[in-house]
Amino acid sequence: MRKTRGEQVFYMINYVLLTLVAISCILPLLNIVALSLSDARAVVSGKVGLWPVDFTWFSYHSLLTGTPILNAFWNSVEITLIGTGLSMAVTIMAAYPLSRRHFYHRRFFTMAMVFTMIFNGGLIPTYLVVQNLGLVNSYGALWLPGLVSTYNMLIMRSYFENLPGEVDEAARIDGCGELGLLFRIVLPLSKPLLATIALFYGVGYWNSFMSVMIYINDTSKYNMTVLVQNMIMSNLNVQDFTDPTMISNLTPEGIRAAAVIVMVIPILAVYPFLQKYFVKGVMLGSIKG
Amino acid sequence: MKGELAAGPPRLEPPDSEVRQRIRQQRLRRFKMNIPLLLMFLPVILFYLIFRYAPIGGLVIAFKDYNFYDGLWNSPWVGFQHFQTLFSDPRTVEIIRNTLFLSLLSIIVGFPIPIILAIMLNEVRNMAFKRTVQTVVYMPHFFSWVIIAMMIMTVFSLENGIVNRWVEAWTGEPYPFMYNKGSWIAVFVGSGIWKDMGFNAIIFLAALTTIDPSQYEAAQMDGASKMRQIWHVTLPGIRSTIILLLILSMGRVMEVGFDQVYMLQNSNVNEVADVISTYIYRTGLQGAQFSLTTAMGLFESLVAFILIYCANYIARRFNEGLW
Repeated sequence: MRKTRGEQVFYMINYVLLTLVAISCILPLLNIVALSLSDARAVVSGKVGLWPVDFTWFSYHSLLTGTPILNAFWNSVEITLIGTGLSMAVTIMAAYPLSRRHFYHRRFFTMAMVFTMIFNGGLIPTYLVVQNLGLVNSYGALWLPGLVSTYNMLIMRSYFENLPGEVDEAARIDGCGELGLLFRIVLPLSKPLLATIALFYGVGYWNSFMSVMIYINDTSKYNMTVLVQNMIMSNLNVQDFTDPTMISNLTPEGIRAAAVIVMVIPILAVYPFLQKYFVKGVMLGSIKG
Repeated sequence: MKGELAAGPPRLEPPDSEVRQRIRQQRLRRFKMNIPLLLMFLPVILFYLIFRYAPIGGLVIAFKDYNFYDGLWNSPWVGFQHFQTLFSDPRTVEIIRNTLFLSLLSIIVGFPIPIILAIMLNEVRNMAFKRTVQTVVYMPHFFSWVIIAMMIMTVFSLENGIVNRWVEAWTGEPYPFMYNKGSWIAVFVGSGIWKDMGFNAIIFLAALTTIDPSQYEAAQMDGASKMRQIWHVTLPGIRSTIILLLILSMGRVMEVGFDQVYMLQNSNVNEVADVISTYIYRTGLQGAQFSLTTAMGLFESLVAFILIYCANYIARRFNEGLW
């Protein structure tokens, strides 16, 4: 079909605007990459744009040898892997019974859970509960209070409900119990959704900041977000390093940039594989359940 | 309808005792099927009781003078004293005002943007271009605020940020974006929109795929321009999604995400940047004023609850309610 003149203008503007939006999302990251790979003097003098100036690995070297970033990295990995596993398990344990039509009081349970989405006790009462359970300064305090996201649970429940019913019947005739049905039929059929929700939980745990600040006192247990935030806040100003030799040897900014890149890389590594899943997952969530 | 059914051919009713037995058998079968489900569900009930409902019960300390020695039960009651303190102290009133201002501004400015982005993406015919743009704009959603704050501080840095080098070239001197109240608010709201616009557009993109293409053809036949098609076909087509998300955003009016504001704020802009969540963290946890800040939290939760309830009530008038 031929396009009218007005449509041509529309498409032109559309492409230009979208390109600008995309660039705005990618440029800051490129800038940080360039800073992390540039020489200290170039960083301080503000010469670095989108390409490294006087390429060097020095920032990464000082980051890895001079800061506890590796320890924090493994803490983040531990928090994320165990947290995601626990959250997934309990979310399935909530969503599956609620998706079964013969489950007792399923409406009541669902309403009671949804209520906590729109009204909650807030930070201080939750903190007191965690404190009374003796979880402060342990990773249990990061995993347990946010174990189940009711929103994710609801998405999962409606997905389970909408699985084809015949499969269910066939399994019943074959003598599958409820657990057999869950593990042999429902979960294998829900892989795309499970991947999406695991991604949401995983990103949440990987980026967790406030809970670590609140509950973890021991600096050796910090995850990367809190460690890097401390690095950013404690030496925000280059002027603090008044000794000129210090500036030439060490740019806090370059090291901070390197730390950010170390934090971003795992997300970027899994992102392309999971993109199709999370798009699907969000769309599933948009179905009113 | 019911009369018709009753007038059907007479059925052979089994004897009464048989019916009762069958019902009992069915109940027993249902109970047996429920046992594994209930066992599975038990930890979930525990989780919601301990970490969701116990804190709601813990809100009573807003009406008490909580201290460690007396604990939750024995601390003395003080009635609404903490609420009076909150609403009479100009500092806390300012904090509530800041919270409302920042979140309302974020919602008003930020709500239409994902919709516009989704419509723009929907009009792209080149699939490779569309996919590339999508991949890139969804990305910031997955970065933590530490990363985003670092990017913002780098890009807007006074000494060597890219933006200030452009500003310098234009006006001759750098502009302290992060240290002026007005520009700080702009950076705050802008960064929130920037981080989530792509991700929030996904849900509208999904809604857009449900619009019947023949409607566009019909509109084109009638000579509707692209803009008119968007106004008369696209927007009505995703109306229920828009209303649904508007309701959900109402529930967040009292909430300014802690991570974002905590990482972007600095002492120069505290007058506009101190919000309820940072206040509760600083005064409640670090200052150990549990009761006072719980009162603030209760106030926040109540207002959010009322807002989302009212938004849903209004939406139900348009048959678009959430429940």
